Amino acid sequence: MKKEMIKIENLKKSFGDLEVLKEVNLDVHESDVVVLIGASGSGKSTLLRCINFLEIKNGGKIVIEGEEVDPKSHNLNEVRQKVGMVFQHFNLFPHKTVLENVMEAPVMVKNQDKKEAEKEARVLLEKVGLSDKADVYPAKLSGGQKQRVAIARALAMKPDIMLFDEPTSALDPELVGEVLATMKELAQEGMTMVVVTHEMGFAKEVADEVVYMHDGQIWERGTPQELFNNPQEERTKDFLSSIL
Amino acid sequence: MFDIAHILDVLIESYPLFMKGLWITLKLTVVSILIGTGIGLIFALFKISGIKILNWIANIYIALIRGTPLIVQIFIFYFGLAELGISAFWSAAFGLAMHNGAYIAEIFRGSIQSVDRGQMEAGRSLGMTYGLTMRRIILPQAFKRALPPLGNQFIIGLKDSSLASFIALSELFSIATTQGSRTFDEMTYLIIVGLYYLVLVLLFTLLVNMLEKKLSAGE
Ligand SMILES: Nc1ncnc2c1ncn2[C@@H]1O[C@H](COP(=O)(O)OP(=O)(O)OP(=O)(O)O)[C@@H](O)[C@H]1O
Ligand SMILES: [Mg+2]
Repeated sequence: MKKEMIKIENLKKSFGDLEVLKEVNLDVHESDVVVLIGASGSGKSTLLRCINFLEIKNGGKIVIEGEEVDPKSHNLNEVRQKVGMVFQHFNLFPHKTVLENVMEAPVMVKNQDKKEAEKEARVLLEKVGLSDKADVYPAKLSGGQKQRVAIARALAMKPDIMLFDEPTSALDPELVGEVLATMKELAQEGMTMVVVTHEMGFAKEVADEVVYMHDGQIWERGTPQELFNNPQEERTKDFLSSIL
Repeated sequence: MFDIAHILDVLIESYPLFMKGLWITLKLTVVSILIGTGIGLIFALFKISGIKILNWIANIYIALIRGTPLIVQIFIFYFGLAELGISAFWSAAFGLAMHNGAYIAEIFRGSIQSVDRGQMEAGRSLGMTYGLTMRRIILPQAFKRALPPLGNQFIIGLKDSSLASFIALSELFSIATTQGSRTFDEMTYLIIVGLYYLVLVLLFTLLVNMLEKKLSAGE
């Protein structure tokens, strides 16, 4: 049995009167890739953001690597170091070069030696194919390159889990492939990943499990095979036919 | 009406005196803007902190400063601080700093809030604390955006410093008025002091433009 990296029980989240997550249950095991799909507003982003506590839940339980995290008593900054996040709009630091973007957190948060952090940052940039862009500012990069830097930046903290919130939705179609390739490579290396995406090709090829969200709930989940070829719920069928 | 030759004569002749005033004006302006920038940053952080009590303190401060004339503030500081044995220069400096601070607070608040929310989230998602993200990620970007309005505030502060003449500080403007009434040649001295301010403002505008260019290089 693989280690349980994320366990969510009865998770609830509201914004004012709007109940965005209603009793969500989810478990993610080590090295698994879980793809979240669902219509706009179904709560996918909110669920991801609850997992690294950018949003604070209103109820339920979040267990990260076997430890229940209580936002009141836990140091969330430490929890977030274990859970990397990649955003739709990259959110690179525009006043720092690519290399500085990647080095920032290891040096400032982990007090890593600068030389060592730079060496590791360069290895990561090599890995995402951007060694030649180390000294460039983000504004000079294409969207695909920005997103790969963002992935390298998150990996620099050596997280155990990576969350991706529509990492290719803001990209020109011809740039989507390079980012998905980087993510696929990461998955093959055994990274535990939760990915919100509309790229069904990626889901079919890489995901261990696909989770369909509707109206703040997990409506149906299964292997890509099961969910795409043989969905059980009417809603899932409707959603799938609407996006294909 | 304007005898240019005469103005030039007086300009040259009064030059040493005005240099003394200029020095005091510059000191007063730079000191009050620097302290004002510190005050402004603190109150801007109060305003965006989301902590009610800090919010209130900042709002009251800004309302008081913006709702009263600067000359009243300078006199209050002058009489208030004189009792503590603080010099006219420093009470003027503090008064102007408090005044500039309120406006600079609004400048910083605006520029901090103009930085994309995603920047804070990216920092936090990497395990950086709120304070660290503020200092390393948000404020450097906010400061760059604040530079043009800050330069503008500096120019306003420079001209406002002339009000310190009312508390017997021999800065530029008070030299002009004392010399003017001593020689019964007020108009000439007013034109001359106007020229001094004009040149200062132009030089400073140039400096800010250069700094802006330098800061935006690369990105
Ligand atoms: N900070 C917030 N304040 C108020 N409402 C919010 C906030 N964040 C999200 N919501 C609301 O919560 C609901 C779910 O949003 P969420 O972003 O999780 O959906 P999503 O499934 O990621 O959608 P999309 O595919 O459009 O990204 C939406 O109705 C949204 O308007
Ligand atoms: Mg979303």
